[in-house]
Amino acid sequence: MKLTRRTFFKFMGVAGVSATGLAPAAHAWESKAPPDPYGCLVDLTRCVGCRKCEEACSTVNKLPAPERPNCQCTIFEKKRRPDDKAFTVVNRYFTGRLDEFDKPLPTFAKVQCMHCQDPACVSACIVGALSKDETGAVHYDVNKCIGCRYCMVACPFEIPAYEYRDPITPRVRKCTFCYDRIKKDGGLPGCVTICPTEALTFGRRETVLTLAHKRLKENPGKYIQQVYGEKEVGGTSWLYISSVPFDQVNLPVLPETPSPKLSETLQHSLFSYLWSPIALFGVLGVFMAKSNKAKDNHPQHKGGA
Amino acid sequence: MKHKASPLNKKFWTPGVLVMLVFMAAGTVSIVARFTGGIGYVTNLSNARPWGLWVGVDVATGVALAAGGFTTAALAHIFGRHYYEPITRPALLTAVLGYTFVVLGLLVDIGRSWAIWKPIFYWNTNSVLFEVAMCVMVYLNVLYLEFFPIIAEQFKGKVRLPGLLSPLNSLVEGILKIGDAILGKTMWIFIILGVVLSCMHQSSLGSLMLVAPTKLHPLWYTPILPLLFLTSAFAVGYPMVVFETTLATTSFKLDDEMNILSPLTKITIFLLGIYMFLKLGDMFYRGTYVYLLDGTHQTNSFIIELLFGVMIPWVMLLFEKVRKSRRGIFTAAALIVGGVVLNRINVFIVGYKPPLAENTYFPAPGEILVTLGLIATLMFIYRFAVTFLPVLQESKEVSL
Amino acid sequence: MIRKIIFFAGFLIFMASLCPADVWKAPDQEKAKERAKEEVPFVKEYKDEFLINRKVNLMEKGISIKDVKDIYFLLDNPIVKKREDHYEPVRFAHKRHAALTKDCSVCHHFRPKDENALETTRCSACHQDSFNPDHPERIGLKAAYHKQCMECHQEQGKGPTDCKGCHLENVPNHKELVKLPDKADPFQVTAECLRCHDVQATDMLTTAHWLWKGPSPYTTGHRKDIMHGKGTTALNNF
Repeated sequence: MKLTRRTFFKFMGVAGVSATGLAPAAHAWESKAPPDPYGCLVDLTRCVGCRKCEEACSTVNKLPAPERPNCQCTIFEKKRRPDDKAFTVVNRYFTGRLDEFDKPLPTFAKVQCMHCQDPACVSACIVGALSKDETGAVHYDVNKCIGCRYCMVACPFEIPAYEYRDPITPRVRKCTFCYDRIKKDGGLPGCVTICPTEALTFGRRETVLTLAHKRLKENPGKYIQQVYGEKEVGGTSWLYISSVPFDQVNLPVLPETPSPKLSETLQHSLFSYLWSPIALFGVLGVFMAKSNKAKDNHPQHKGGA
Repeated sequence: MKHKASPLNKKFWTPGVLVMLVFMAAGTVSIVARFTGGIGYVTNLSNARPWGLWVGVDVATGVALAAGGFTTAALAHIFGRHYYEPITRPALLTAVLGYTFVVLGLLVDIGRSWAIWKPIFYWNTNSVLFEVAMCVMVYLNVLYLEFFPIIAEQFKGKVRLPGLLSPLNSLVEGILKIGDAILGKTMWIFIILGVVLSCMHQSSLGSLMLVAPTKLHPLWYTPILPLLFLTSAFAVGYPMVVFETTLATTSFKLDDEMNILSPLTKITIFLLGIYMFLKLGDMFYRGTYVYLLDGTHQTNSFIIELLFGVMIPWVMLLFEKVRKSRRGIFTAAALIVGGVVLNRINVFIVGYKPPLAENTYFPAPGEILVTLGLIATLMFIYRFAVTFLPVLQESKEVSL
Repeated sequence: MIRKIIFFAGFLIFMASLCPADVWKAPDQEKAKERAKEEVPFVKEYKDEFLINRKVNLMEKGISIKDVKDIYFLLDNPIVKKREDHYEPVRFAHKRHAALTKDCSVCHHFRPKDENALETTRCSACHQDSFNPDHPERIGLKAAYHKQCMECHQEQGKGPTDCKGCHLENVPNHKELVKLPDKADPFQVTAECLRCHDVQATDMLTTAHWLWKGPSPYTTGHRKDIMHGKGTTALNNF
C-alpha cells in the first residue's frame, strides 16, 4: 500500500465533492402505476364454478387442457393453485352458508395473477424481466430472465409458478392478463370472454371499481363491504367482491402499503448516485492514510491484504 | 511483531481429504441430476417455496461467513492494527473461497445458469437482488486481485510449467511480475473497495426479504433487517477467524496464535454487543416478544438463535478467563458462527411462511448433497491452498 | 308431480342427447331459430320500480299465462355467440315456466321507460353486449340468461344448476364406441365403460356412492354423515 499523501488527498477531494454534491435528499416513494390501467372485477356471488375460464385460459395461452375440464364435482375436493400449466384455477369453498334446504352453499373463487398496481415481483426482478405495461398487465420477458425466482419470493399472492422440471430453460409462468388481446380495442381476456354469468367484468380499473362500489351499496346485506384489491398492497388490477370474508376463500389479508415501498425507499435513499458507498470510501480512506502515516517506519506489508 | 506466511509443506492426502472427496463425488452426482432432470428433480422446492437450502445456506450463509475477509482487512490495513496482519491471509483465503462458492451455489440454484451474465446488461435498480449481485460480482474480482500477490509471492521467479506449457513460462512470469507491481501500488484502493462493497451487500442481503412483508415471520421481519445483517456480519467476522484458525492450527499442529485471537474476541464483545442490542431493542420496540412462547418451530428457532448464537457467547466473552482459554474462545466463536448461520437459515427458510401454501419445506437429499459437496470442495481447496501457498503463519511445530 | 315431469323431461333430453342429432326435430324448430336471430332495438332506459310494484302492475294490467304465445324459445341470439360458440342453444320452455311460477315479474323484472313499449319485452331488448361502457351495471345477454335461470333454480331448489342440465353436450354416438359381445355379463359391461371412463371411475371411488360412508355433499337432502356401510361393515359389498 504505497499511498502518497498527495495522491490520497487528490482522491479524497474527488470523493468528498461527489459525495456532498450528489447525495440526494431521500425522495418520497411514488407509485409507478400506469395512469389509466385496465381492471377486472370478480363477483364471487355470481361465480357458479363452471370452470370455463380455466378452459378458455388454456386455449388462449396455448397451455395443456385443464385437469378434467368438464368436472364440476370431485375436482373441487382438493384446493388447487395456479401452476406452470394453468394460469387460473377455480376452487370451491364451503364457508358455512346454507340454503333453504340446509344444504351447504358453495362459494367459488377464481384465482390468477392480480396484476398489482405496484407489483412486488417487478420491483424484485433482478434483470427487469417483469414489467408493468400501460394496460396494467404485469408482463414477463423470458429473454431477460435468469431464473433466480426472487419474483416468486416477493409475490404476496404466491402466483408466479416455475417450470421446475426443465433443467436448462425453465420459465416463470403466470397469468398474462392477455395483454396482447386487451391492447386491441374492445379486446377481452380469454376468461372474461367465456364467463357465462359475467362474474368477471372487464374494463378500465376506475370504471369497474365504481361498479363494484355500486353493487356493494345497492346490495348491503349481500356483500361484505369491501372491494378486495382496491387497497391491498397498494391496489391490484383484479378486484374481488364477495358475500363471504375474503380470507375464507384463500385471498390473503394484506396491508395497504405497496410491497416494494420499503425496500425501494431504502435502496434509493442509500444508493442513488452511490453517494453512501463513495462517502464510506472517503471516510475509510482518511483512516487508512492516518494509520499509514503513523507506521511510516514500520516494514511495509506487501499485498496479500 | 515479525511474521511471515509460508506454505505448510505437509502431506496432502490425509483420510480427512478422502472423506471430502466422497462428499464432492456425491455432490457432483446431484448436480448432474439437477442439470438433466431440472431443479424439481433434486429439490423439494415448490411454487410457494421458491428458495430453499441452496439460497439460505450456500448463498446467504456463505456470504455471511466470508465476512472475516473484510473485517480483518479493515482492522489490519485501514485502522492500522498491523498486529493482526498474520490472520488477514487465512481470512482472505476463506473469503475468496466463500464467495467463489456463493457463485457456484447460485449457478446450481438459478434456473437459467447460462444466463447469469444478464444482470450486467439488464439493470433493474429497484431490485435489491440486482445490487447484491453487482456487489458480489465486483467484490469477487476484488478478492481475486487481493489474493493475487500471494500467488505471485510463491511463484514469482520460479515458474516451471510442465511439458507442453513450458514455452508459456516467461509469459506467466511477466504477468506475475507486472500484476504484482501494479497491485503493490494500488492495493489500498482494493482494500477499501472490498470493505465498502462488503458493507453494501452484507446489509442488502437483509433487504432482500423486505419486499415480502407478509411472508416472513414478524420475529425477523423488521425495517432494520439490513442493519441487523450488516452488524451480524461485523460481529461474525472475527469469531469466524477464531473458529477456522483454531481448527486449522489444531489440525495442522501449528502455533495456536492465542496472542492474536484473544484480543480479537475483545473486539467481538463490542461488535456482537451492538448486534445484540439492535436485535433485542428491535424485538421490544416492535413488541414481537409476544410470539416468543407460542411454541411454533419458527419461534423456537428464534429463541435458539438469540440465546445460543448471541447472548450466551456474548456473556462468555465478558470473562477474561474465557478469552484467555483456547477452548473458551473456540466455543464462544463456534456459538456465534452457529448463531449467524442459524439467523440466515431462519430468515430465508424457517421464518419464510407463505400464508397460502399448505406444504412445509424440508430440503431433499439431493439439495443437501449439493450443499455438502460444495462445502467439502471449499474445504478441499482451502487445504490445498494452505499446503502449497504462503497463507498460514510460519511457525515451529507444537506438539499436541 | 312437477318434480316427476321435470325429471321425465330431463330424462328425455338425456336420451335425445345419446341419439344422433338428426333423428328427431321439433316441427317448429326452424321457426324458433328464426325468432332467436331477430335483432331488437336496444332499450336504453328502464322504469326503475320495486319488484313488488312491478308484480302488482302486471297483475293490474291483467297480464298472465294466457298471454304466453310461444311454448318454447331457442336461446340462440347471435349476441350470445358473439365471442365464443361452444354449445347447442338451450330450449327454454317459456310456457311451462310461466305456468310454474305464475308470476311474470320473476323474469320480466323491469319494463322499458317508454310507456308505449310492450309490458313484457324480450330479455335481449335490455341485455345485449357485455361490458357496455355506457351501462356498466347492465349485464350482457348470456350472463342475464345464466343468472336468471340458475339463481332461480337454486332458490327454488329445483331445475338444473350445472352446465349439462340445460346444454346439450356433443356426446359421440356410443353405438359405435361400445363393443360388447351378445348377452354380456355385468362385469363385461362395467369393464367396457371403464375402458374410457377411467377418471370418472376413480372419482366415484372417493364418493359416498361407493364408500357408503362419510359426507355426501352432492346428494340433496342426504347431507348427513353416514358412518357405516360398505367401508365398514362390508355387508353390501357387491
